[in-house]
Amino acid sequence: MALWHYPGLYWLFLKNRLKILMEYRMNFLIGATSTIMIQGAGLLTVWVIMSQIPDLNGWTLPQVLLIYGMITLSKSINHMFADNLWTLGRDYVRTGQFDRFMLRPVDPLFHLLADRFCHDGIGNFLVGLVLIVIAAGRLDVTWTPLHVAYLALMTLSGGVIFIALNLMTCVSAFWIMDSVPVTRVVFEMHEFAKYPLSIYPRAIGLLLTWAIPFGFASYFPATRLMGLDTPLWQAYGAPLVAAVLLAVALAVWRFGLRHYGSTGT
Amino acid sequence: MMATLKRALRAYGAIVATVPKMFMAYSIWVWMSWFVQIIAVVILVAFWRAVFSNTATVGGLDLDTTINYLLLGMIFRAGQNTDVLYEIGEMVRDGRIGVTLLRPVDMQATYYVINLANMGLDTLLSIPIALFAWLVYGLSLSGDPLVWLAFLVTLLLGNAVMFCFDWIIGCVGFYSTEIWGLSVLRFGFGLFFSGALIPLDMMPDWLRAIASVLPFSQALYLPVSVLAGINPVSAMPRIWLMQLGYLVVLLVASRLVFGRALRVVTVQGG
Repeated sequence: MALWHYPGLYWLFLKNRLKILMEYRMNFLIGATSTIMIQGAGLLTVWVIMSQIPDLNGWTLPQVLLIYGMITLSKSINHMFADNLWTLGRDYVRTGQFDRFMLRPVDPLFHLLADRFCHDGIGNFLVGLVLIVIAAGRLDVTWTPLHVAYLALMTLSGGVIFIALNLMTCVSAFWIMDSVPVTRVVFEMHEFAKYPLSIYPRAIGLLLTWAIPFGFASYFPATRLMGLDTPLWQAYGAPLVAAVLLAVALAVWRFGLRHYGSTGT
Repeated sequence: MMATLKRALRAYGAIVATVPKMFMAYSIWVWMSWFVQIIAVVILVAFWRAVFSNTATVGGLDLDTTINYLLLGMIFRAGQNTDVLYEIGEMVRDGRIGVTLLRPVDMQATYYVINLANMGLDTLLSIPIALFAWLVYGLSLSGDPLVWLAFLVTLLLGNAVMFCFDWIIGCVGFYSTEIWGLSVLRFGFGLFFSGALIPLDMMPDWLRAIASVLPFSQALYLPVSVLAGINPVSAMPRIWLMQLGYLVVLLVASRLVFGRALRVVTVQGG
């Protein structure tokens, strides 16, 4: 199928998905707010603690919230548009549903992603956005068009970093049927990136820059946005890192696809 | 002859190869949970060290006490999450509730025992985390048997309170047949008000007042704070009395609510 058909096709999938979700309006609302609840507990903790101490090893509350907000926003992109990578093993490979994708004249990866827009991510998106707006206000960041474009580009790159890492790890489903544990182990590293990387031992900072580069999805662009003296390669590296990671992930995906043997049941 | 041997080797080799795969499919979940918890430990310690970088105490607690309390809270968190809410929701949804109710044993008692077994197993599974915390961050465990006894009593009382509380919420599922929203709410509240993320001592007075009234701290803050040396053993008899009172009220309430809910039970599916 030609490439230019895909956007229209995605829109069709999305419309169908929204129709299903609207059948169960209450569940839709609960799903979208559920993530807000869980984030709320973590944020309340940060607020309670930081209102009692002068600073978090040199970081103020708005600075911490900006970093927290950026990782949440990047994560929400992955959550909304690529959540199905989590269920590849359980819902598609193990059940044989993946065969359906292989037979259709559409790219299987596209089909997998388009099959389920995940509305739970909307909650994360809103939390991230609100955090960034509030924190930036307190930090006197002026929202010039350039700043808005920078934020959008960095968030998108951050989202792609999340998606690429999940794609790379979900491929394990083609061998072990259930990829969630493998994906989760790598995905979990983003928890580090909720706080300034400088509070961790040096090895963790290096890990989150060079190996599992979630630092580019939160800490580096956030420090740039708050006007700190971030090195240029850190401040603007995210799109390049995202592109390289995605290219590698796609290669891994194609390698996995060649080893897909169906379930036989 | 050679060909037969080769074929046999290949066939048995394939069978042998499935064994680690089968093992991996399940044990890999345990490994994952250990890994995820170890990351949580590393983040927890780094975050709290940063919190205490320019201050000696927060809410009257010092760095070592705080970290020790939170690590112990991670290791013994199972008492607070009873799973029963989720279980009831599942059973109502897939219709298993019909079969479960036909069994000649008390359903609530059955699930209480399952909850105890789960708590035990979960605690056993967190031994590697405890080991890691002890080796890397010097987790200190009390050597006083009296402290452990007080901890155990408080934990069991608190877990029973949480079990009855979750049971009551679970009964809502009999009416609404959908419990996912409530369980998310319960989980979110439990995470914060149990004291799993911060000891109650650090909360502002108004938040602490809310946390003390809600049941969530019964099976986490109360037992773990004894073990971490925040509350002395001598303060416990008063706390146990309060827990007993809470338990009696919730137990009676949960029996009543369950009895009423059974009249409206809908057996879905087949």
